Amino acid sequence: MIGNNIAMYGMTLGLIVGLIIAIVIIKYANKNNKFKTEYDERQKIERGKGYTIAFYTLVAYESLMSLLSIGDIELPLHDFAIHFTGIVIAITVHCVYCIWKEVYWGLNNDRKKYMMVFALCIVLNALPVLGNALAGNLFDNGKIGLAMLNIMVLIMLVIVVITMLIKGMVNKNTGTDEE
Amino acid sequence: MKNLKLKAARAGLDMSQDDLAKAVGVSRQTISSIEKGDYNPTINLCINICKTLHKTLDDLFWETEA
Repeated sequence: MIGNNIAMYGMTLGLIVGLIIAIVIIKYANKNNKFKTEYDERQKIERGKGYTIAFYTLVAYESLMSLLSIGDIELPLHDFAIHFTGIVIAITVHCVYCIWKEVYWGLNNDRKKYMMVFALCIVLNALPVLGNALAGNLFDNGKIGLAMLNIMVLIMLVIVVITMLIKGMVNKNTGTDEE
Repeated sequence: MKNLKLKAARAGLDMSQDDLAKAVGVSRQTISSIEKGDYNPTINLCINICKTLHKTLDDLFWETEA
């Protein structure tokens, strides 16, 4: 019970700190120092399709997890990690779709600054995982503990970066990067 | 269907896709999609593009039988 409370407070604190950092960083990383990223009409339409696909991905994932739960099939994850994994999968699907449709970057995003933010996020998420791994706390009662959240975010960031690289190569090969 | 008239009008003013995109407030990929015929722009964007390229809607967006 005490462990659960610590996990809850830790996660809440992490989310609040993450949110504050995100607001500051996004404001800094946008060219016009606006918090809101601006998109043109085509980008808004395509991003809408991305949100739809991500929504149905989350519905499918949660339905599958519900079925597993009804069938008493236990996964080596805590409950919070199961739900968090679904959220991360849905966000990853949205990001990959947007990158592929070339609507990931807004009109006022400074890509170089955002790549620095990405690198910072990878480091900030890798540190707790390494710390827990070195201290032998990666598993909690045979299940992956809070470090799972950082691992999921790391996987998502790596997938996003890899998708960007692949899309860049595809554009170069097909000549869509040129006039 | 590719919009070659738009591409020609843009090239006629020696503008890159990026130049036109910045002038009308959209991304370069959106201009590219319009030229490739992958995206049908709204009438507002069509008007902005026409004004920037000093053309009419008919000049750039009215399909004529070849």
